[in-house]
Amino acid sequence: MLLCDFHIHTTYSDGSVELRRTVDLFGQAGFDVIAITDHVVNGDNSFGKLARKFKYSLREDTFDDYMAHIREEAERAWDRYGLMVIPGVEITRNAFTSDQSAHFLLIDIKEFIPATWSYEKIFYEAKKQDALIIACHPHQTSDLTFIDTLFFWKNRDRYSRYIDAWEIANRDDVFNVVSLKKYPYIAGSDFHKIRHLYSWKSLLNCKKDMESIKQCIRSNWGVAITLFRN
Amino acid sequence: MALFWILGVVILWGLIIYTLQIVAVRLALSPTRNREGHPILSQSYPPISVIKPLKGLEDNLFGNLESFCGQDYPEYEVIFSLQDENDPAYKVVRKVKEKFADKPISIIIERCHHGFNPKVNNLLSAYRHSKYPTILISDSNVMVDPYYLRTIVKPMDNPQVGLVCNLIRGIGGKTIGSIFENLHLNSFILGNICFLDKYLRIPCVVGKSMLMRKSDLEALGGLASVKDVLAEDHFIGEKIRGQNQRVVISNYLINNVNEYWNLRKFINRHVRWGKMRWKIGGMKYLLELTINPVFTACLPLLLWGPTEKTLSLLALVCLIKIIGDFYLGRSISTPMHPLVYLLSPMKDLLIGLIWFLPFADDTVVWRGNRYMMAKDTRLYPCPESGKWKYRIMEGIKAKLAW
Repeated sequence: MLLCDFHIHTTYSDGSVELRRTVDLFGQAGFDVIAITDHVVNGDNSFGKLARKFKYSLREDTFDDYMAHIREEAERAWDRYGLMVIPGVEITRNAFTSDQSAHFLLIDIKEFIPATWSYEKIFYEAKKQDALIIACHPHQTSDLTFIDTLFFWKNRDRYSRYIDAWEIANRDDVFNVVSLKKYPYIAGSDFHKIRHLYSWKSLLNCKKDMESIKQCIRSNWGVAITLFRN
Repeated sequence: MALFWILGVVILWGLIIYTLQIVAVRLALSPTRNREGHPILSQSYPPISVIKPLKGLEDNLFGNLESFCGQDYPEYEVIFSLQDENDPAYKVVRKVKEKFADKPISIIIERCHHGFNPKVNNLLSAYRHSKYPTILISDSNVMVDPYYLRTIVKPMDNPQVGLVCNLIRGIGGKTIGSIFENLHLNSFILGNICFLDKYLRIPCVVGKSMLMRKSDLEALGGLASVKDVLAEDHFIGEKIRGQNQRVVISNYLINNVNEYWNLRKFINRHVRWGKMRWKIGGMKYLLELTINPVFTACLPLLLWGPTEKTLSLLALVCLIKIIGDFYLGRSISTPMHPLVYLLSPMKDLLIGLIWFLPFADDTVVWRGNRYMMAKDTRLYPCPESGKWKYRIMEGIKAKLAW
C-alpha cells in the first residue's frame, strides 16, 4: 500500500514550511506519494485580493517557477527517498458565505488555470490536462476560524460528475456524508504546519506511477484512509 | 551583603567549572586524523552487528538510518528492531532496506516484555538475531559519516577496552525546543562528559552509541541484567568497569539530529534525565545547580531586585556564556547560526528551573509508558488509574529501598 498525502501547502502560498523542507519531512517519514497543492485564489473579491496582495496565492507569473521547483524537488525526492512528488494546485474560491465557497485540488496539473474562470471551464481545462479533480473539505469542519466550503456539496447533483474524488477526511475531520453518498474518496492533511504531518492520509493499493495512482483514485478501487500518528 | 558575596563565589565557581569544561572539550577533540588529514584507523576490523532499536518517527529518521547502511567497513550487518509493525518507523525502515538492497540489513519485529525498559526490550530481540561477536547499539536519532565504524573500532584493538561510546553533537534545530536541545547537548552535556572523563577519569556512557564485545556483555549478565533500569547505558558502563575493563569515549562526534522538537519535549527529556541523575548520583546531583552560572546569577536579581549591580552581574555572566557556547559550537563544527547562541542564557535559566523537578516526583514517562523510578533508576509499573494512592505507596517503598 502506498502511503499518500495529496493536500499539501508550502510557502508558495499560505503554508509555513518551505517546499524543500516539506519534501524532506514527508520523505523522512516514509511517505510514498505526495502532491504539492498551493492555493490559486480568485482575485475577483476582497478575500482574493487580500490573499494575492499578501502573496498567499500562486499567480500566472509565479506558476512556472513553482512548477520548476516542484520538478526539481521531485527528482531529488525520488532519488533520496523513493518519494513521488506530484505538482498540483488548490483552486480557492472564497466567498462571504460557506454555501458559496469552494476549494478543490487539481493534481498533476501542467499549466496555470485561473480561479476566476467558471467551474465548468476549470473542470474542462483540468480534464484536458488529465489532472485529478478532488473536492476539498466538502462539509462542515471543526475549525472555527475557517469558513466552510460547502458549495460543491450543496450543488453535488450538478458537479459530482466532474469530480474524481472527494476528501472524506481532512486533517482531523471526517466527513461521513461522502461515504453515505458512495462517492470516490481520499484523505489529506491540508498540510500548512509541521504538526499537520500527523493527520488523515490515503493508502492506495497500486503501483507507484502516475497513471496507476490516477486510475486507483478514479475507480476508487484499493483506496483506504488511515490516521497517521507517531 | 554577605549573601551577595556567597552567591558571587558560587557564580565564580560555576564559571571556573565552565571554563574547565571548555578546556576538557578541546582536549577530548585532539586530532583523530594524521598529518595528511586522514582518520587514524584501526589495525583490525572485526565484523560488527549494528543494532538499531526503533520506536516512532525521530527527526530525520530516513537520513539517520541511511547513514548506518552506507558505512565504509569490511563486514557488518544492520539490524533494525521494532516492537510493532504498525509503528510508523516500519515504513521508513522498509524503504531504507529497499534502497540498500545489497547490504545485510534485517528488520526484526517482535513484541518483547522481558523488562520495564522498552528500549532494552527492543534490543533483546535484535541481540538474539545478531550474528557477529562485536555489537554496536545505536539510537535512531543518530547520524554518522561513512567512516564512523572504522574510527570507533580503533580502541577495541586493546583487549582491555570493554566499551567504546561517543561524544554527541546536537544538530538541525528548526524550532525553539530543538534549538534549546542542541544548545544543551553542545554545551552542558558535552562539557560535563569531557570534564568527568578528562579530570575525574569517570567515563559517562550515553547510549546513543555503544560498541562492545558480546562476550563482555554476556559476562556481566547480558542485556537482561539491565532490563528493569532506565539508565541501562550507564549501568552497562559501570558493569564493564567493574570487570576491570576500560570504557573509552571516542572523540568521534556523532550527530544527534533534533529538528522539530517543541518546548514540551525538551522539558520532558531533561526532567527525565534530571531524575535519572538524581537517582544515580544522589547528593552529587545537588552540585549541578552550582555549575549553571546563568541560573545562579539570576538569584541576586531575584533577592535584591533590578539594581545596577545585579543587572550588570547577570549581563556579564550571560555574555560569557553566550561567547563560551559559541566557541564550543565552533569547536565541534556544529552548523548553528551564530545568533542562535543568544538564546543560550534563556535555555540555562529553564534548565535551572527543571533541576528542581526531580525532587517533586518519582515517576517518569518514557515512550508512552509511565513508571515509578527508585534508586539506581530501577523501574516499577505505575498504573494511571488510582495513580496517586499507588504512587504514594510505591514512593514510600522506593524511599525505604534507598
